[in-house]
Amino acid sequence: MAEKYPINIWINEERHEKLSKVGLADITEDVLAGMKVLRLYCTAKQKDQLLKLYSMAKYDSATTKTIELLPAEVKDKMFDLVIERKRLNVIEEFLKRVR
Amino acid sequence: MEYTGHGGKAIVERVVSSQSQARELIKGLKSVAVTGRTARECIGIAYGFFTPLEGFMHKADVDTVCEKMTLANGTLWPIPIVFDIREEEIREKTIEKGNTILLIYRDRAFATLEVEEIFNYDIAKMKQAVFGTIDAKHPGVKMYDGFEDTFIAGKITLVNRPKFQPPFDKFWYTPNQMRQKIAEKGWKRTIAHQTRNVPHSGHEWLMKGAWFSANGEMPVEKLETGILVSCIIGPKRLGDYIDEAILLGQQKLHDAGYFRDDIHMVSFVMWDMRYAGPKEAILHAIIRENLGCTHHMFGRDHAGVDSYYDSYDAHRIFDQLPQGSLNIKPVRVLEWGYCPICGEVTYSGLCGHNKERQAFSGTMIRSIVQDKVKPTRLIFRPEVFDQVIESAEKYGFGSPFCTEEYLDKRQPVFELAKL
Repeated sequence: MAEKYPINIWINEERHEKLSKVGLADITEDVLAGMKVLRLYCTAKQKDQLLKLYSMAKYDSATTKTIELLPAEVKDKMFDLVIERKRLNVIEEFLKRVR
Repeated sequence: MEYTGHGGKAIVERVVSSQSQARELIKGLKSVAVTGRTARECIGIAYGFFTPLEGFMHKADVDTVCEKMTLANGTLWPIPIVFDIREEEIREKTIEKGNTILLIYRDRAFATLEVEEIFNYDIAKMKQAVFGTIDAKHPGVKMYDGFEDTFIAGKITLVNRPKFQPPFDKFWYTPNQMRQKIAEKGWKRTIAHQTRNVPHSGHEWLMKGAWFSANGEMPVEKLETGILVSCIIGPKRLGDYIDEAILLGQQKLHDAGYFRDDIHMVSFVMWDMRYAGPKEAILHAIIRENLGCTHHMFGRDHAGVDSYYDSYDAHRIFDQLPQGSLNIKPVRVLEWGYCPICGEVTYSGLCGHNKERQAFSGTMIRSIVQDKVKPTRLIFRPEVFDQVIESAEKYGFGSPFCTEEYLDKRQPVFELAKL
């Protein structure tokens, strides 16, 4: 199976409520001391495209194995897209919109 | 009072005491503009952070540093401290051995350099010796690749004391001042925590655990062991925490009572990280020895970068040092993490829930802060989080991380008077 590269969208109460409304609240995970996260998975190609688009972002290959340090507004848009589409598979559409 | 620093040498400040004396001293000197790195190293030398160095290294010292990890006189030293300059500039300004030149930083007279030797050096040899690699992607190698082609060795004297700006001013202690402060606090043991981070709970517990190690058999009714949080202030890269958030965030742990007032203090050292892993760990130990610390904590990947060094290389190198070459003890620390079974922040050397324990990834926590989602208090103290956000507004143009705007417009760490 192809390797997947997650993006962590941190979930506070407001976001949790939005997720609940579209039936996605149960897919958050507790990752660190009670912090909830919604994971959006990228393919290797999508990961490379994102890192190229947002130079301060990086793939943390040492510990978390996640794509980190994407700008907050980028993650906000990804989250909004999840709510809009009511699904997690939104990265390709996000990249298309950015392009 | 005279204090003894690394190599058994007295800590001597090479700083001119008055502006009139400085003006007299610099009259008619040829001048050379220096980079931020060189300016920070001048401060390190002149105030004794780099004792026993009194100036930039001679070729013989660089040779032995590279080959044996000592100065030419046999004192342990892991990284060359060199003054690089274009050969063309030396020729144009007819700089010769025996001259004293004036170093200019940000258009202000800053320090004098006594030209004792002018030499060339094989940079590839220096890179291999310090970093164990010549890979141009290594940030230290990249720094060395930017060196000019010629080096000047000689003593440094500051003619213009740096005036540190708020909030840096309240955290600035020279080695002599720090020794005095430690004496005032009555600390018999001081353990240094080297950091370039805003503290999360993993850092907090690393400090707390290391304090227990350092305190050892010491009395506990009246505590005589202290933690010195010694932040590194140097060049910043996009995405790093802003310096102000680091210092004020560390201080907040103290002010909010997560550390007792009598066992903890925050300061900083001006240094451009080389990311030289184990060799840099030794340099950090030397600097903290000069500051009066008796112990130094070393965690995972100390001063490392990417996968150039093994996670615990910076621990192992201390086993190779000749006895008595360093007057500070390393305290080696594994990782702290959160264990949902234990329900607490715990130590990987103690907790047996290896599968369940969650690592404190600095990168992940940065991501939470960046998203401005307040973390749980087990990850990040709320007072520290609020301080970071406040620092972002006050100093970071809205961001706790270095942005292009911050790098371009930030207030300087220190100012120099016009002489």
